[in-house]
Amino acid sequence: MSKPMIQTEELVKNYGNVKAVDHLNLIVYEGEIFGFLGPNGAGKTTTLLMLMGLSMPTSGTAVVAGYDIVKDSRKVRTVAAILPEGAGYYGDLTARQNLEYIAQLNDIPKLEREKRIKEFLEVVDLTKWTDTKVEKFSRGMKQRLGIAEVLIKKPRVAFFDEPTVGLDPQGTKDVRDIMFRLNKEQDLTIFLSSHLLHEVQQTCQRVGFIRGGKLVAADKIDNLSGKISGKEQIIIEFELTKTSPDLIRDIKSIDGVTSVEQEGNKLHVHMERNNSKEVSETIMKHDLTILMMKQKEYDLEEIFLKYYKEDD
Amino acid sequence: MAGLLTVCRKELVDNLGSKRYMVFFALIIVLSTLSAYQGAQYIKENTSASFVAIFSGATNGFPFTTLMVFFGPIIGLSLGFDAINKEKTSGSLSVLLSQPIYRDSVLNGKFLAGIAALSLLTGSTIGIMSGVAIPILGFGPDLVAISRITVFTLLTILYLSFWLALGLVYSTVTKKATTSILMSVATWLFFSIVITIIAMLVANILAPTQLPSGFNGGGGFPGGGGFNSTGGFNQTGTQEYLARMQSQSAIQTNIQRISPAYLYNEASSAILGTTGGGGFGFIGRQGGDTPFRALDLAQGLMATWPQITAIAVCLVVCFASSYMLFLRQEIRPGD
Repeated sequence: MSKPMIQTEELVKNYGNVKAVDHLNLIVYEGEIFGFLGPNGAGKTTTLLMLMGLSMPTSGTAVVAGYDIVKDSRKVRTVAAILPEGAGYYGDLTARQNLEYIAQLNDIPKLEREKRIKEFLEVVDLTKWTDTKVEKFSRGMKQRLGIAEVLIKKPRVAFFDEPTVGLDPQGTKDVRDIMFRLNKEQDLTIFLSSHLLHEVQQTCQRVGFIRGGKLVAADKIDNLSGKISGKEQIIIEFELTKTSPDLIRDIKSIDGVTSVEQEGNKLHVHMERNNSKEVSETIMKHDLTILMMKQKEYDLEEIFLKYYKEDD
Repeated sequence: MAGLLTVCRKELVDNLGSKRYMVFFALIIVLSTLSAYQGAQYIKENTSASFVAIFSGATNGFPFTTLMVFFGPIIGLSLGFDAINKEKTSGSLSVLLSQPIYRDSVLNGKFLAGIAALSLLTGSTIGIMSGVAIPILGFGPDLVAISRITVFTLLTILYLSFWLALGLVYSTVTKKATTSILMSVATWLFFSIVITIIAMLVANILAPTQLPSGFNGGGGFPGGGGFNSTGGFNQTGTQEYLARMQSQSAIQTNIQRISPAYLYNEASSAILGTTGGGGFGFIGRQGGDTPFRALDLAQGLMATWPQITAIAVCLVVCFASSYMLFLRQEIRPGD
């Protein structure tokens, strides 16, 4: 495995008596897209702010790209960039002027600045709008400009805080595509904070679940899914032309079947091992046709809910 | 100081291009030019008056000092009241702070840019006023006048910067620009109008000039004759009346000194050598050809250093408090 890009150790942030982040231990490796998942108010943004050196941890430490977030907070911001949730821009300036300002704040020399502005406006597909005032931009365009502002300093790690909230499907797809491309082509480490499960599922290689400021799990999605499936039973979903109480009774009597749930013409058969052959045969015996049959996969939502419900 | 110059440059461009700055600039230039014209006429009529009277001598309209007393607060506040909260609301502040700069650079940069814009306004207005007056008068300021004008310009910049700093405080403590603009307008009205009314009322209560009925009606003599015939009694009455007038005016002055605008007015009169403003100057000049006893610049500065220091202290206190508030604030996106 490649080396860690972000590593937190017992990171704590308290606001008064409220523990926003509670002894967080997290590793994000170089070159990966890490999904940081949790409900609203779980401490995601607080964690990001601390990792960018914008908020002082109450205790604990973290290292981002080799810099301590407390002692070298300004250096952290030279190699790490963030697209904050609800990021704003100077509406009375053009896209180029907005980027120019950010580039100047990063002490990028003039020629390099011009080159990068051109390059990254192309990456986010805003070349046509270079000299348009940002107040005329749509939300999706603004978000893409935000990504260009993140890229202009050529960071090693980029934090995206809920980057697709409020975007239409096309805007969401654009943002996601850009993130993928940057990760692949520029080997950018991406830390994606989100409460949207499918987004993380589609984008991230590894995910961390945070709840109440605590990291409840961090692993590859397959592994997390496997962990749950291992503990639980197999569920197979059958869609039939129609059902009858007799049928359900017969299925229940099959060895290994623990329970059957009915939902219209659909049956969810819970079993200890895969007995789908016997179940199918039983259905045939009742002269019914199987329209559809599939094993239920655990998607992130269930993993999510599963981890969230634990300890409750 | 990473980022300070960049922030300052951007903010200065913003300020100079902003509509509110242009409106105030135009307003001040027009009114000042008129007052310089009137001031020049006044100097022509009063040969003893110095060149600097163009700033204080306009009798029919607003002299420049009065313009600044009245409009200074709103000009300074208007450049500062939304400096921080506007960027917070729009979300650009969290983007700005995530750059490799120190947080204080943002506030310092905005403050310096504001001072630069105010200096430009003051400097060019005073320059234009002098430019209008010289051809009318046929002579320019001598060295003494130039030094007075220079110190006066600096005082005006200091004074306007105080209001800017107060605006910054408002923009730091409030979340919305609509709140801070209301606070700014309230402050402006209070210090330019309300405080004078309050001072007058309080002074009138504490030292009423209305003499008790015994003094007024005592003689029962009709008209002015009464004063002459019972000289002794009425002399006491007049003295008493004058004493009360004086103490009333002293109370009023001291109350008004809460206002930096009033302090500025006092200090600028002393620095320009027009002691105590139009009223007193007029009385002083009535004596004939002898010039009224004007303080020279050093004396003027000596006499008004408490006023100048008070303005400077107010500025420092305002800036320091917005600085501390801003550095401690947690800038959360979407707040």
